[in-house]
Amino acid sequence: MSLKVGIVGCGKIADGHVEEIQKMPEVARVVGVCDREPIMAEQVAMRYGLGYHTHDVERLLAEQKPDVLHITTPPASHLPLAKLAVDAGCHVYVEKPMTLSLADTRELLQYADRAGKKVTVGYTYLFDPPAREMRALIDDGVLGDIVHVESFYGYNLAGAYGSAILGDPNHWVLGLPGQLAHNNIDHLLNKALEFMDADEPRVTAHGFVRRKTRFGDARDAMIDELRLMIDGGGTTVFGTFSSHIRPAGHFARVYGTKSSAHVDYLARTVTLESSGSLPSAIGRLVPAFEMAARFATAGARNVRRFARSEFHFFSGLRFLFSAFYESILAGGPLPISYRDILRVSAMLDDIFAQVKTATRPVSS
Amino acid sequence: MKVVVTGCTGFLGVPTVERLLAHGGADVRCFLRRGSKRARLDEVLAKYPRQKTEITIGDLGSPEAAAKAIDGCDVVYHLAAALTGAPADMFLNTVVTTRHLLDAIAARRSGRPKLVHVSSFGVYGVATVPRGAVVDEATPLEPHPERRDPYSQAKLRQEQLVWEYAAKFDIPTVVLRPGVIYGPAGGAFSTRVGVNLFGLFLHLGRDNLLPITYVDNCAEAIAAAGRAPEAVGQAYNVVDDDLVTASRWLALYKKRVKPIPSVRVPYPALVAVSELVARYHAYSKGQLPAVFTRYKSATTWGGNRFDNAKLKAIGWRPIVATEDGLGRAFEYLGAEARRAS
Repeated sequence: MSLKVGIVGCGKIADGHVEEIQKMPEVARVVGVCDREPIMAEQVAMRYGLGYHTHDVERLLAEQKPDVLHITTPPASHLPLAKLAVDAGCHVYVEKPMTLSLADTRELLQYADRAGKKVTVGYTYLFDPPAREMRALIDDGVLGDIVHVESFYGYNLAGAYGSAILGDPNHWVLGLPGQLAHNNIDHLLNKALEFMDADEPRVTAHGFVRRKTRFGDARDAMIDELRLMIDGGGTTVFGTFSSHIRPAGHFARVYGTKSSAHVDYLARTVTLESSGSLPSAIGRLVPAFEMAARFATAGARNVRRFARSEFHFFSGLRFLFSAFYESILAGGPLPISYRDILRVSAMLDDIFAQVKTATRPVSS
Repeated sequence: MKVVVTGCTGFLGVPTVERLLAHGGADVRCFLRRGSKRARLDEVLAKYPRQKTEITIGDLGSPEAAAKAIDGCDVVYHLAAALTGAPADMFLNTVVTTRHLLDAIAARRSGRPKLVHVSSFGVYGVATVPRGAVVDEATPLEPHPERRDPYSQAKLRQEQLVWEYAAKFDIPTVVLRPGVIYGPAGGAFSTRVGVNLFGLFLHLGRDNLLPITYVDNCAEAIAAAGRAPEAVGQAYNVVDDDLVTASRWLALYKKRVKPIPSVRVPYPALVAVSELVARYHAYSKGQLPAVFTRYKSATTWGGNRFDNAKLKAIGWRPIVATEDGLGRAFEYLGAEARRAS
């Protein structure tokens, strides 16, 4: 059986959704796209050869009867759209952040659950090749017990997304409680989830604005630097969201009792830190070559993946879609637990309650 | 008479404001987004202290701002469009914004302003036109936008929308389709010359004539189209006389700006590579983008020529000769390169 998928919200990320679904025709197919701006729905349909587009989500649901609705709209609309989809008998994939608050996220999950429908959220990096490789190392006991994690998410305000936000004083990102950070730090937080036992991790947050005043409106007040310290219950997490550090990296460092790993989501490498076990000056000489060899091995692994056409930009997205669809079709577990979705929502609430009062400008 | 210029802080926008002021006879409203870099525009406005000009801040992403942009104007010169960005941004910042502008014009009960819309050569469906054939304004628009690049897709949809509104709401409309606009503050290379691949310049344009127009000449064409009553309902190619080949452009760059490694790619080889790239894209399920396809290559590097006779018939003449324009453009590029090194 091939699931019928509808997509509502035809911004940039919708392209990734259509492209990845079109790579798995045996499992799913896009039956229609929707955006309240008709031109945006039309352009996605035109570029991907889709036969149906509309500006009315209720028409999409009624006329195409999708099994799954992917919601890729701004987050303020996620909850009402998800309810509409559930009422129409759809399972729901929601882009991150799932909603604007923990209360809304809980309501969304409960609403779907009561109707017997499944929900997942776009934590795609949890399923990117380096994340899966890191998990295998942990399962094999290579890292030992995890003591601490550093999660780093760099952002380029001059890139396509950043330019769109700074170019539009009415951009929806500026309307989020945590603005730019709110739309991005799901990626920073969700990577730490698997290392934290606490149901309610305790977060300390500091937000900063590092840009110079330029517009004279709400854009100038947008936090662009965020630092987090999380007590996860036995494991601690440092989180960094930065719009100014270069390169704009995206990585996690996982510190274990036996070894520590650097998980790079951009270079798609997982490398163990060198232990430097040899004595004297030799002990300072060898580790650099050990690290070089480990990076060379990781690079060679990526070349093999590329040669097998397994090195796609949206690998994690496709993996998540597959796992979600399989859960729907076979009745298995969801790729992301509701507990984890709620824990991220709770941390977001906590963080933006703190930085609302703690934010201060930092001179460049 | 009052006119408004959208996109007036851009590469083409600033000279367009200047040409309108130079011709006189109209108050000029400059419509720009908050935070736009406007030093070049301010320089131009300062040159015409006796002309009546005004600055209106707004974003065509908002219908209300679009209504404010055209309020009280007799002619709308619409230049604003996205040049880069993701496909969704291109459509949002080129097509949706234009629809807001058109809605604002259509909402005027009487005395709808004339619209002078700046489109692009990219809207033509030239892939199936024989190589070397002359493309004039009667050449059909692109029948397969899905095979084109996002910029061309957005500009095509934008122009289609302009004509749809012109017909439906009786909006007096003129469309200009410039080729490659060049000049100081402009880019070094049009893709029609070639593309940079990891430090090696693939010279794909070879001996094709470049359909270039010096930025002041293009601005003059826009001003001329706004003045000519017979231009309403018509589209015009904007391309200069005495065009140069892509090879000459590359040679000038190497001589006047800096030497770069390049390889000349014959058209049959480009077609073969395009086919391979497209096949690999399909085989690998899109692991690498299909940056080259036969269709795209035929469109950009097929070697069509473009005609400007129709534009000349409404009185336009280049105000800067091509040799002078090239001199100024490469002088700027050379100075920029020296500053960067």
